[in-house]
Amino acid sequence: MAELSFTQEELDEIERLKAKFPTAKAATLRVLWVAQQKYGHVEPEVQNLVAKTLDVPKSHVHGVASFYTQYYKEEKGKFVLDVCTCLSCQLCGGYEILHHLEEELGIEAGETTDDGMFTIQEVECLGACGYAPMLQVTNGVYVNNLTKEKVDTLLENLKNGNMPEFESMAMPELEKRNQAASK
Amino acid sequence: MPEVFIDGTRYEYDEEKDEMLLQFILDQGLEVPFFCYHPSMSIPANCRQCMVKVGTPVKDQETGEYELDEDGERKIRWFPKFQTSCSTRLQDGMVVLTQESSKEVARAQKDNLEFILVNHPLDCPICDQAGECPLQIQTYKYGPEGSRFEVKKVHKPKHVDLGPRVTLDAERCINCTRCVRFTEEISETHQLTIVQRGDDNYPTTAPGEEFDDPYSLNTVDICPVGALTSTDFRFKARVWEMNQTPSIDITNGKGCNIDLWTRDNEVLRITPRQNEEVNDYWMPDEGREAYEQFNENRVDRPSIKLDGDNQSNTSWNNAIETFAEVLEANDPSDITIIGSPHASVEENYAFNKFFNLLGVRNAKFTPHVIPGAGDGFLITDDQAPNTNGCRVINLDEADDTSIQSNVAAAKVVIILSDDLVGREVLSTSDLDNPYTISLATNHSKTTKASDLVIPITCVAEHAASYVNIDGRIQRSYPAKETKYTNRRLNLEMSEGRLDRFGTNFDNWVSEENKVDCLPVWDFLNKLGDRLGLDFKYDHSREVFAELSSSIDELQGISYERMDEENGVQLPIEQKEVKA
Repeated sequence: MAELSFTQEELDEIERLKAKFPTAKAATLRVLWVAQQKYGHVEPEVQNLVAKTLDVPKSHVHGVASFYTQYYKEEKGKFVLDVCTCLSCQLCGGYEILHHLEEELGIEAGETTDDGMFTIQEVECLGACGYAPMLQVTNGVYVNNLTKEKVDTLLENLKNGNMPEFESMAMPELEKRNQAASK
Repeated sequence: MPEVFIDGTRYEYDEEKDEMLLQFILDQGLEVPFFCYHPSMSIPANCRQCMVKVGTPVKDQETGEYELDEDGERKIRWFPKFQTSCSTRLQDGMVVLTQESSKEVARAQKDNLEFILVNHPLDCPICDQAGECPLQIQTYKYGPEGSRFEVKKVHKPKHVDLGPRVTLDAERCINCTRCVRFTEEISETHQLTIVQRGDDNYPTTAPGEEFDDPYSLNTVDICPVGALTSTDFRFKARVWEMNQTPSIDITNGKGCNIDLWTRDNEVLRITPRQNEEVNDYWMPDEGREAYEQFNENRVDRPSIKLDGDNQSNTSWNNAIETFAEVLEANDPSDITIIGSPHASVEENYAFNKFFNLLGVRNAKFTPHVIPGAGDGFLITDDQAPNTNGCRVINLDEADDTSIQSNVAAAKVVIILSDDLVGREVLSTSDLDNPYTISLATNHSKTTKASDLVIPITCVAEHAASYVNIDGRIQRSYPAKETKYTNRRLNLEMSEGRLDRFGTNFDNWVSEENKVDCLPVWDFLNKLGDRLGLDFKYDHSREVFAELSSSIDELQGISYERMDEENGVQLPIEQKEVKA
């Protein structure tokens, strides 16, 4: 791999991030994020670049990157589909969604399609039990109340490069409470 | 004096010291189990093992008086939950209940141990740490009888070569982070970190990095479980089979305090011994590798060059006779004697004194310094353990060229335990002309070039003192028997289980590791007898007693004082070791 480096623009951004924290070490999370945005992953070379840029030990950056599943320690597909199979989603058919996805894409959870388009991951609770079953696209937008049809449409859209829009979900209990409060 | 009550007993403490509860408890000789705490490093309180119940007395806000209950006792306001004693600061009037007096605390510690052991493999029977393992000891003392966890344990990497000297077994790790803190705070190489999270985590290096810290093996010592093991010592011996003998590191000028671990008279490993004044709890990896030179490549029996360059072994009688004849045949002014910063104070003194009695000029010595080799911590430029010792007993400090010219002018050269050829002070051809006698512990280029080689005891075989680079005098104890010493008769030597119960008919006791060598003073006694010289020392203690009465700097210093005070600082000028 060619020598990695940040552009001047990115370096300016990193300086801005560093200024928010008392130490450079504290900015590790944010700068790893900048790096992941740029390269799509934080493989060891990228981790080392972050360490060099921030002037913190390589081991520290590695420890931080390995702690969070949201940092991809290896190259993933263009779209990473994190399917929740934790309790609520499981009860509402999370595994059916996962297995449907696996069949559609011809890969197992944890694998990437040959064209480098999709990666499927089975993940724990994403804090959206009210919208179960659900999945998350590449650490970003949530796709809620999944059905097999909805998954098919999502795949079709993603193949065409259309990211799903964020869908605001009605939470009946919450609405009731809000109404009561506004009276 | 502020006071603190531990298990109902009142203790006073010094507020100035700003001590933590756990350290205070340990200082009183009491015990609370712990894993992650280390007195020389920061306190993360992450193992949660040292939990105790803590409370403070209630004071009346207006009067400032302690509030009393019906029985007239102070009212105590307990902390809502147990506190980790390692990170709890002492407070005046604090009341502490440990596992000794509180069933609740004992139960909490037991449950914590059960938790720590959830994914621990319990492979003590094949684990190197067994026998000196805080986890094993504390589980035995405070732990549960069994585990309620019936599910499969989490598997993690086993046998990872973290670096050239340290092997990791991640499954045994309890994530106390002592090793990580060591690289961050003590050696400052920042090579280790904890990776992954939850029950998957373990310490390792960044990808592609090696744990080649020059102090890496200290992490093995402080690891409270068998996760970090010494690659070299792995599976060599069980700790309870070995003897532990205090000694001094002889690989550099710092004189780190160490323990020699021997089994069947073979030194198997070296670990640091705590001494705040010198090395705290640490020592460089280099010093640990020195154990090999105590076992291997030793000069065993005297040897002599009879024809050409071939040395052959000879008897002590013949060696003494040859030595004496050489001394008698030459004028004292044609004899050059060279002392050694690698040998102890006693050896150098006895050596010099013996030949002075014969009329030979004062011994010279040349410091063994590699500029830039040191790191300002425990590794020094000075490669020898006793450079200052040679100065204290007034040997003539000489540079390489002066040694060379002296050797060139001499008909007989007698070298004490210093590989002058190996470290390029002399060349083999310099020793061609004069008759060269080496008193040496190990085979080297110098002994190879010598005409007569006398085997002498090394630091692991004699009691002798060394003056380190800062002018601190410290001493060694005999750890390894020679052909002529006996552990059971020499009360200075430690006796391990195998020594005590082994016999010559066992397969774990052998004669093979006893080297045929003598202490320098002992050999010189015999040579003195032959020459009719008034020279007799029964023990290095006698040599040192004579020294302390004749040399100002050593006045009032004895082996007893060195033992009691962990070495004694000499009132000598701190002078830079010259290259």
